[in-house]
Amino acid sequence: MSGVLVGFAGMTHLGVNSAAAALARGFRVVGYDPDREVIEALRRGDPPAVEPGLPDVLRRHASRANYTADIADLSRCDLVYIASDVPTDGSGASDLAGIRRLIEGVSGALARGAVVVVLCQVPPGFTRALALPGERLFCQVETLVFGEAVERAMHPERIILGCANPSATLPAALEEFLSAFACPILPMRYESAELAKIAINCCLVSSISVANTLAELCECLGAAWSEIAPALKLDRRIGQHAYLAPGLGIAGGNLERDLATVCKLADAHGTDAGVVRAWIANSRHRRDWALQTLHGAVLSKLEDPVIAVLGLAYKQNTHSTRNSASLALLAHLAPFRVRIFDPVVPATAIPNPRCHAASSELDACEGADALAIMTPWPQFGTLDPVQVARKLRGKLVLDPYAVLNAVACRAAGLEYHTLGFNPDGIRTEK
Amino acid sequence: MIIHQSPAAQKPERVVLLGARGFIGAAIRKELDAQRIPRLALSSADLNLAEAAAADELAAALRATDAVVMLAALTPDKGRDIPTLMKNLAMMQNTCAAIAKTGCAHMVYFSSDAVYDGAVSRVSEDTPTSPQDLYGAMHHTREIMARSLAGVPVLVLRPTLIYGLDDTHNSYGPNRFRRAAQKGGKITLFGGGEETRDHIHVDDVAALTLRCLLHRSTGTLNAATGTSHSFHEVAEAVSKQFGKTVEIVKTPRANPITHRHYDVANTIKAFPDIRFIPLEDGVARVHREMLEKS
Repeated sequence: MSGVLVGFAGMTHLGVNSAAAALARGFRVVGYDPDREVIEALRRGDPPAVEPGLPDVLRRHASRANYTADIADLSRCDLVYIASDVPTDGSGASDLAGIRRLIEGVSGALARGAVVVVLCQVPPGFTRALALPGERLFCQVETLVFGEAVERAMHPERIILGCANPSATLPAALEEFLSAFACPILPMRYESAELAKIAINCCLVSSISVANTLAELCECLGAAWSEIAPALKLDRRIGQHAYLAPGLGIAGGNLERDLATVCKLADAHGTDAGVVRAWIANSRHRRDWALQTLHGAVLSKLEDPVIAVLGLAYKQNTHSTRNSASLALLAHLAPFRVRIFDPVVPATAIPNPRCHAASSELDACEGADALAIMTPWPQFGTLDPVQVARKLRGKLVLDPYAVLNAVACRAAGLEYHTLGFNPDGIRTEK
Repeated sequence: MIIHQSPAAQKPERVVLLGARGFIGAAIRKELDAQRIPRLALSSADLNLAEAAAADELAAALRATDAVVMLAALTPDKGRDIPTLMKNLAMMQNTCAAIAKTGCAHMVYFSSDAVYDGAVSRVSEDTPTSPQDLYGAMHHTREIMARSLAGVPVLVLRPTLIYGLDDTHNSYGPNRFRRAAQKGGKITLFGGGEETRDHIHVDDVAALTLRCLLHRSTGTLNAATGTSHSFHEVAEAVSKQFGKTVEIVKTPRANPITHRHYDVANTIKAFPDIRFIPLEDGVARVHREMLEKS
């Protein structure tokens, strides 16, 4: 066990997953949050975010964790991570007021010589503007992925560290902590680190936009994006882990935030952000895929149709509904009867008086004219298309993320639609 | 995205139609009558909006509780020159002056897809306006004039190519093809008719307008079906109605092929149960109406 005591200020998704990784790497941790209910829940082993493996990691290392709502408890720490999620507005712009208040509070509680690391997503220029001495102030790029947050926090590919002086030796406590993750450490200027995070997300959105653009063409041409994507991944210049799955627009909040930041900075400095705006437009366009498909096949044809919707979270293995494509769809289904099921998010998240909170996937399908699988929860993939067909009144299945088997759905008599593939393109004959 | 000022459909107290005698105006009038919505239908014969006195005359006819549908315009077949532009602007100037004086509960301004650059192949309401001729510039300016009316909820409708029995414009598409097939048994295409366009039946335009009136919708909405067809497909649909061989003639292509598709997501979001007449059905309907009329 290391002697370094690591503090995490802000027990949100970012903070609690990062704290879990620190615990798993053998460090003692102080987890601070001003919300007493969050702290009490953490003490009971109930984290404020849904992530695979998170409760288990927290439980296994509970003896080295101290959760507190008293900011003074951070005074014992050698280094403190500012790890609160940064909220965004509808346009993706960050609201940094809460983070500034948190940093101010933490600064007042710090031990002499303790190091502060800003882990949350902040725009270029934020860290350098803080009133803390440069030799004790760093920013670190977080690259958590909802649904894989613990794994990625424990096994980062590299650590991007923003420093006042990138060539200076790191403080001992920080050096010891970061070295425990056994990956390259890349010190750079604060601004470079802050922009590196944005650059990573821009690359991801770029890949997603390529996938979405060409998947839409596939739907018109009888091609299947699912056949093309593996070929791209075998290209060394693209890679196995490239984001090439088409989706219903970017969601979750973090990518949107970075795109908004790039546009804002480009506007301020007169640089070209046209391609970023095109990504945003493409994302909005693809978000409407389910609504447009449903409209064409059911809403414009049936009187008072019933729509079953599986999944509310913005992606699988998370409770987050930030910019969820499912919620966006449901907002436009308000005049219709909907039957909803999500393994984690309660149906009460939907302000639709004609919404039925289903007890299971098949209960949601009961008597529905169409089924839309809006979140690719793994358990939805185990649904038997024959049973789905029996429960549904209609035949339409929208499965944007292809969690079901297209051929099996067709064999069950379902009209199956997915992203990147036109069902009329299914041909078994030569 | 448009915003419904009345989320629940509510009949307007009265609808004032300006340009009521035209092709679209007549269809809207029919729709209003079917819904028993009181209306005041004014045409150029009743009130010449281009004349300076029109502002006061219209103001006297208007009530603050009216919904005004502004359709009156000199279309390109009446002139594409600067004097036509100025007359059209004068019509809007007088209309706005009247509304500014009396007020109104809602204004629907009928614009045109000519406000978009004709070279743009995929159009939504987010597509930047970039009129390429005086007609497009006229509608763009009139949109801004309408929106400058203080305190008036304004909806701008931008229709794509409209077809129907009573269309007088005879522009390239279903109307001209039908007349050509009837007259000479021959439809002549530009090139092979490869260009795709979105054709909307006038009854769909009227129905969409009515929905917007019932909800006092504001913002900008394209009036399009979301489905584009090549002119060759349109010619075939028309030809099919005649039950005899109508020759579809291709000519050497003089201009590059351009396409126009509409993203109608905003229309679906505003009216999730909306349905449009498919082109084949619309062409058949017009054909039936033509036979009945003759």
